[in-house]
Amino acid sequence: MLQYIFSFEFLGAVLRMSTPLVLVGMAAVIGAKANILCIAYEGMMLFAALGGVIGSAYTHNLVVGTLCGMAGGIFIAALFAYFVLYLDARPLLAGLALNTLGSGGTVYMVFLLTGMKQNTSNLVSLKFPTVNIPGIQSIPFLGNVLSGHNLLAYVAFFSVLAVWFLINKTRLGIRIQAVGKNPEAAAAVGINVRRTKFIAMILSGILASLGGMYMSMGYLPYFTTDMTAGRGFIAIAAQNLGLGNPILTMMFAMIFGAAMAIGNMAQSYRLPSQFASMVPYLLTLAGLILMGIRTSAVQRKYPHL
Amino acid sequence: MSSLSKTKSIEKSRQIEQQFSVLRTALAILFSLIIAFILIATVSDNPVRDFVTLLIGPLKNTSRLTTIVSKCIPLLFTGTAICLVNAAGQVNIAAEGAFFGGAVAATMVAIVPGIPLGVHIPLCILAGAAAGAIVMGLPGILHVRYNVVTIVAALMINYVALYLGLYIILNPLRDPGAGFEASFLFAETTRLPVLFGNERIHIGLVLGVLAVVAGDFLLYRTGFGLTARTVGNNKKCAVYSGMPVGKTIIGISLFAGCLAGIGGTVETLGNYQRFVYGGFTNHGWDGVMLAVLCHNKPQYMPVAALFLAYIRTSADALNFSSSIPPEIISVIQAVIILLIAAERFLAGWEHKVIVRNSRKELEVQGGVK
Repeated sequence: MLQYIFSFEFLGAVLRMSTPLVLVGMAAVIGAKANILCIAYEGMMLFAALGGVIGSAYTHNLVVGTLCGMAGGIFIAALFAYFVLYLDARPLLAGLALNTLGSGGTVYMVFLLTGMKQNTSNLVSLKFPTVNIPGIQSIPFLGNVLSGHNLLAYVAFFSVLAVWFLINKTRLGIRIQAVGKNPEAAAAVGINVRRTKFIAMILSGILASLGGMYMSMGYLPYFTTDMTAGRGFIAIAAQNLGLGNPILTMMFAMIFGAAMAIGNMAQSYRLPSQFASMVPYLLTLAGLILMGIRTSAVQRKYPHL
Repeated sequence: MSSLSKTKSIEKSRQIEQQFSVLRTALAILFSLIIAFILIATVSDNPVRDFVTLLIGPLKNTSRLTTIVSKCIPLLFTGTAICLVNAAGQVNIAAEGAFFGGAVAATMVAIVPGIPLGVHIPLCILAGAAAGAIVMGLPGILHVRYNVVTIVAALMINYVALYLGLYIILNPLRDPGAGFEASFLFAETTRLPVLFGNERIHIGLVLGVLAVVAGDFLLYRTGFGLTARTVGNNKKCAVYSGMPVGKTIIGISLFAGCLAGIGGTVETLGNYQRFVYGGFTNHGWDGVMLAVLCHNKPQYMPVAALFLAYIRTSADALNFSSSIPPEIISVIQAVIILLIAAERFLAGWEHKVIVRNSRKELEVQGGVK
């Protein structure tokens, strides 16, 4: 078992589990920067996962499929943003409703288009390709580490840099931070708070869509009902532990991915997998408590802060 | 204007607000039914028949009527639990984990043989309540003590409760002779007494109604409830008036957890011979929807729970009489929650009616002067 943990196969398994978490974690980072409590990532992922499968199955074109998937995720994100920002719905309730819609709506779409109730395995859809980097793939150690992963795995790590750059180095990113930290001040200097938050949610939706499409066009070759299995919530946890920092969030997403991979492995060794499955959540709780202890210690030392 | 007529005018405005909240709920249900009809029409060979099944299918025979009541029982518990924490401003959806944890803890007691008849069930309920209180109380404690965002803590604790519970059920308590993943059989002494001679309508119904009454009494008839609602409406006001904010939040979370845990207990003992859940049962999230429908007032919970149980039974009926997947019902649920949650839905109209009414009253008073 230990041998397996130090093997390249295990690294691949960790990457497979981490890719959607990193992508949706980045979506959660953008949402958190805009100070929107969004739990609708499950719904976005499910719509995107199904959209990608349907789009690619009917057009046999990966780009069109990806766009269809993104359209699905953006649809949920836009609904969420509209109800929360323009109709004053409480974010938790809008999120709950859209996750429910994601779960039931996809079942309906699957039934409408394929006549099946559980999955789309009778649709011939496309997968994101595995990328073998020429030159690097033949280097003994490095090749196994860096090459031969799903395209979206590379996109996921690229998205970490992209989100970091967006938030810290672009005008839009600074504005998103401003409306998140102090909407009144942002409005006072002429930023359209609602529109900025809306744009943030759409960007968040695009990233969550990529995470969702990885599930149905990478991790598995077809869509099954509720295939995201709580990953949207784990990504929120990673973002919380990472304090909204993209790099830290990615690290926690990967730790969670590793815990999931170990859980899967334990299952195949017929060991109780529940403890490994519990790790991400316990870690998050411990992290949150530690952060709480630290802030209250600071408050005791500097009560005026 | 005299203070009396001012109160009267405010009273009238409040009445209008209430009427609009009823209208909003009714319109949300109507819209969702229209959407349901459209969805059914696109996938059904006989849309009218299937839609009629959706509307009145559950009334067709007594077995389905029984199903409605039976589905209603757990919802009374989790719905009231969420009402309580919501009223205190805590977005504590650990009711899901508390329900599951309650069922697991009750199972641990229920499989023990040799406990006398009248004692066994109360012991199971006690275990379920304790487990529920721990699961749902923790997010409250973490929020008060370490300033953790309640919803994040609750989401995490839900999964911890789920996996810990599954570990207990699938390892030490697993019955290898069951043929599927389930616990040992519950002892005969844990069979819940039934009402009306129907085994699916058990004593849990009485307990559920008691839970609703207790929740309503606690929240609207006691000082503790007033404190809790003040904390929920305006935390700063509660702090500055010297209310025990932290203790109230923890107290109400623990009590809500007890209710959810008992819900899990009676649902498991009442409907199954062994513990059979392999994952979340969704009763906690249903509770969130019900609390929204009730505006956190447990007194409306029986109606709301019956409604949700009714459309769930409709889904079963639809599943039975046609090929339509019953998950279509969750689209209806989503639309209802969205429209009721959207505070600005119809707000323009509501505002106009209130303004018109206030003007009219001012004119009347002006005339008297």
